[in-house]
Amino acid sequence: MNDISVNAFWLVSAFIFSMGLGIILLKRNTLFILMGIELILAAANLNFVAFNRGDQEQQGLLFSLFVLVIGVCEIAIALAIIIMVYRSGKWKVESGKL
Amino acid sequence: MNNIVFILLAFLTCGSAIGMLITKNLLHAALLMFVVMFGMAGLFVLANADVLAVSHLMIYVGGVMILILFGIMLTQKRGGGPSNDLNVEENGKLFPLIVALGSFYGWFKLIELSNLSTQVLPGDESKIRQVGFLLTTQYSFVFELVGIFLLIALVGSTYLAKKDE
Repeated sequence: MNDISVNAFWLVSAFIFSMGLGIILLKRNTLFILMGIELILAAANLNFVAFNRGDQEQQGLLFSLFVLVIGVCEIAIALAIIIMVYRSGKWKVESGKL
Repeated sequence: MNNIVFILLAFLTCGSAIGMLITKNLLHAALLMFVVMFGMAGLFVLANADVLAVSHLMIYVGGVMILILFGIMLTQKRGGGPSNDLNVEENGKLFPLIVALGSFYGWFKLIELSNLSTQVLPGDESKIRQVGFLLTTQYSFVFELVGIFLLIALVGSTYLAKKDE
């Protein structure tokens, strides 16, 4: 079960992180940017979990659980803010003005 | 066997992430994001974190998917013409792609340079017993704090989303 190296996980995680960064910079829609942030959080979790395999005390696993909770809270608050902004009528991310 | 499964899951995850970057359709991107999350849960299983994989599946593929789809539904213009409102505008393609690929290249170089050899502990039994024990003893304060944090987020998002009278 333990024959996959940490580097492989790190590579996948780096790729997902880069795609999330690219989405945040490329798209001009707030929901899209939110999805990019979720990708970055998932990539961070993958790193935590991959390095946790050598840890007797499971610190990485527990931290990744807390990261999951933070991500969910962020999604809930951000969607509320998005709906509020949509009602206010100014609904577009200007380029260069984030 | 594990290697084959890992490669398949990695290609699924990375391919869906590329698809998210390429597509302009918001709904397609949302559905692709859940393929990414699904593959991520599989990768978590391969990294011996079954607890996180199950919670990831439940929270993302179950909860956040509904939230994002509701967000997409609630932010569409009503009574639009025949044009597809789900297509989003994009910034100039050059700068974001350079940043994304440069970031990936930087991480790749870092992985190459760092001579990592973290040892992997033997044994592939489930860690749920240990995680439950740690959450109720050593990390009990953080656990309670996370509960209060979730409550704050719940109340805050309800307050923000309510209609002003």
